[in-house]
Amino acid sequence: MKNFLHRVGQLFQRKEQTVPFRLIFADFKKILELNNQLLDLIADANDKLSGDYIFDEQYIHTTCHQLTDLVRELIVLINHLTQQKYADLYNSFHRIEENIQVILQGDILCPVTDYVLPYSAITRGLIDAVGGKNAHLAEIGSVLGLRIPDGFAITTAAFSSFWSENNLEEKVAALIRQQQHKALPLEEMAWEIQRLIFDATVPAKLEKKIFAAADRISKARPETIPCFAVRSSAQGEDGASSFAGQYRSCLNIHLKNLPQAYKEVVASLYSPEAVEYRLRKDLRPNEIKMSVACQLMIPAKASGVMYSYDPVLPEEETLVISSAWGVGEPIMSGKIPTDLFVLDRHSPHEVKEVQVVRKERNMILQGCDGIGMESVPKERQTQASLTNQQLKELAEIGLQLERYFKKPQDVEFAIDQQENIIVLQSRQLGLQQAQPPRACDLTDLGGKYPILMQGKGITAMKGIASGPVWILERDSDLHDFPVDAILVARYASPQLARVIHKASGFITDIGSTTGHLATVAREFRVPALFNTENATSLLQHGQEITLDTECLTIYAGKVQELHFHSFHEEPIEEMYEYRLLRRVLKKIEPLNLFDPKDSNFTPQGCQTYHDLTRFVHEKAVETIIDLNFYHAHHRDTQAGQLVWDYPLDLILIDVGGGIEGEHDKGIRPEQIRSIPMQTLLRGMSHPGIWDMTSMQIDLGSFMSSLTKTAATHNTNMEEVGRNLAVISSEYTNINFRLGYHFTVIDAYLSDNILDNHIYFRFSGGVTDPTRRSRRTTLLNKILSHYDFLCEQHGDIIVARLKGMNKKSMLNRLFLLGLLIGFTRQLDVKMVSDAKISVYFEQLKTIMKESHDHETDHYSNFG
Amino acid sequence: MTTKQTTILILDDEPIVSKRLKPSLEKKGYEIETFTSSADALKRIQERQFDIVITDLKMEGVDGMQFLAEVKGRFSDTEVIVITGFATMETAKESFNRGVFDFLAKPFKLGEIAEVISRAEAKIKNR
Repeated sequence: MKNFLHRVGQLFQRKEQTVPFRLIFADFKKILELNNQLLDLIADANDKLSGDYIFDEQYIHTTCHQLTDLVRELIVLINHLTQQKYADLYNSFHRIEENIQVILQGDILCPVTDYVLPYSAITRGLIDAVGGKNAHLAEIGSVLGLRIPDGFAITTAAFSSFWSENNLEEKVAALIRQQQHKALPLEEMAWEIQRLIFDATVPAKLEKKIFAAADRISKARPETIPCFAVRSSAQGEDGASSFAGQYRSCLNIHLKNLPQAYKEVVASLYSPEAVEYRLRKDLRPNEIKMSVACQLMIPAKASGVMYSYDPVLPEEETLVISSAWGVGEPIMSGKIPTDLFVLDRHSPHEVKEVQVVRKERNMILQGCDGIGMESVPKERQTQASLTNQQLKELAEIGLQLERYFKKPQDVEFAIDQQENIIVLQSRQLGLQQAQPPRACDLTDLGGKYPILMQGKGITAMKGIASGPVWILERDSDLHDFPVDAILVARYASPQLARVIHKASGFITDIGSTTGHLATVAREFRVPALFNTENATSLLQHGQEITLDTECLTIYAGKVQELHFHSFHEEPIEEMYEYRLLRRVLKKIEPLNLFDPKDSNFTPQGCQTYHDLTRFVHEKAVETIIDLNFYHAHHRDTQAGQLVWDYPLDLILIDVGGGIEGEHDKGIRPEQIRSIPMQTLLRGMSHPGIWDMTSMQIDLGSFMSSLTKTAATHNTNMEEVGRNLAVISSEYTNINFRLGYHFTVIDAYLSDNILDNHIYFRFSGGVTDPTRRSRRTTLLNKILSHYDFLCEQHGDIIVARLKGMNKKSMLNRLFLLGLLIGFTRQLDVKMVSDAKISVYFEQLKTIMKESHDHETDHYSNFG
Repeated sequence: MTTKQTTILILDDEPIVSKRLKPSLEKKGYEIETFTSSADALKRIQERQFDIVITDLKMEGVDGMQFLAEVKGRFSDTEVIVITGFATMETAKESFNRGVFDFLAKPFKLGEIAEVISRAEAKIKNR
């Protein structure tokens, strides 16, 4: 209350408004326009991650530049409109912009401030904090449920602190410069940098965190000695450009020696080999902030490596496992002979070839004093190091990892003393086929495999997928979705993301590449083809198909040629530009400000450009209402609250000929002389539209949207203020927030056809995603049916109409009125797909009936 | 029946463009050579003719306009497709004046360039 009085006081202290309302309104409309441009640009940039576009670094820079300009303009405008009330926005803006600049220069911003993260707390989104090796291993444990070593990551934030506290940045840069100017041989530069790192001190705070994390792990495993393997987990290390062997690993390191081992691993970033290797690969100098993995040592009984495809003869459809006794290091580095097993990739994974060699020595852990080689007892030397049971289990694990990471895998594993298989690492396997598949072999695929569908749909995520078709009838069926099948559904509903780890591909009849499912499919690299119109009726449940989303083609059967070809393609996330776009979008796209009543709904709470945009828009609407309703009215406007039978808290601001008569006690609908506004209200109050739902509705959701508007009658009027209409006799601009739906309408209707336009923008709330996508589909369908040009950006629908005569335009505004009245409950009513056509028909019928007496209606409200 | 493979030269100083285009076009049956330096590409067109040339416009050294003039001067049959991140009406006009087959603004979809290429290919085959 105090706050409210303070604000009212402020308003009266302001100088009397001398700026004509039309100028203020011009600012407001400009804000709306910028707001829309920004949201579209953000959605488009996100779309680029689908892999379906070719873009370069220039594009990313240009887009960021455009977005920055638009956001800056928005902030200038809102401050202009509010007399610098939100000057704090500049601070948030500069902070975000600075971050974006840093990212554009190729630097990695650690997404967290933690120096240390246990594996249980690591998710895919934290890859810039923990590096590929840590992130992938953590996912293998948490998402796939496979056994991994207990461990934690020392993050890139820790690296930055280590680097800056020892002033390494300047010193290293100076050495690199010398080398670039040929004043220092590369090798010498590398040794110099390594020496600097060895001489540096691990910051006390970091040391404390490392000890604490290691201590927690060893306490949870009292039976083991607190010794760790310390390995690198650098950027780009885990993909195809595998740095295998480039960076140092320290084995069996006692807890107290971890800081020293940390330095050793970090120093290996600058081994001459690593420096040269990075120069050859697409890794920028700024990208090499290293995260380090600390994993509890496993006193392995046996260890080995598995290739999920035979890298030399992939067409044999076999997987290859090599193993020996003891700890893995000499096996990985090829220092001791290993047993070799070749298995069928297909279940039940028949063992096709076995070569058991004599294994005389193996590596063991020597307490906590490192590692050493030891003789193998005679009777075990010629015994196979893996059992048949273990081989089959490993094969299953290999295929599971391949499915999850979408490429053939090179897996390191250990068998612990309890005979459990523990995955130590999984990375992409480079297939070295003597002859990569020849392109012309691929042009004739249609002759070998029947084409079931071609040239239809849009690529949400590029890629090749094979598997049986699984057609979704009801969302609840998702529980039964089988591993490796291709999900075929009517809608690209976000619900489907639940099976992202099982599905090898997605096909939908309807769906947008900017929706949630597309985003998730990209994140997990699951090929996805949306908007095929009729895949659900064309494909048969259980039928084996191959999906090529890039070529918009679906083949019958498994087209192995396409898979082999795709294995040769560098995955897009291995490319610098994709990593860059993804990083930069993190500062642009996420929305953290939802409800204006939340405590973070402040300039300081804005963390992304999207947040800033949302904040400015909300405050712009509020301000227009403040200025014209709560404040003594502008002399060239009239304003009042609509008094209506329906719970719609709407402030009307008349800029010329839109209202008639006295309005001290509010404006009655019949006083409205604005033709577009009249028509909209007529649509909204059409019998049965507003309260069509009295029957079988989910009362909770209904009430939540109702109370949000109704309750405000009894509370502070200031709190109402988000429904605004600026009207004149021929014009209406509406900003509506009904429940969680947000609608903008801008319409101008005159006798001059060329001037007529309707703009409709609808975005949906935080309700059940499936119903939301049904609602979007219905809106799209009905609006297109009535000649609107529809565009969809994620959850946003934008519909435009121009150049029709007044009568037809009014007809369409009536439809928009119907839709507003109707959609506020649509989410709860869209219980099944069938409802879409039901409501589509219902709306058409209403339109037809109203159209007949249209001329009677609009000139005389009520 | 075996028909001759259509040959395509791609020149763009941003390596990602070739890196992405090559596998995608090879899959469609084209024979692809890629270059990130216009000097190297110039050298290559002294040695052989390509059916189709795809080039960026703005590059260090010999720029795309010069390169396409060189290509068209040597082999008037070669169809040139221009891809550029700085699309303006003037550059588009100039490209078409120089006999360019089509003009694509970056970023573009893989499907879009594939469509342009197959139109160029059809034109070549109908000669």
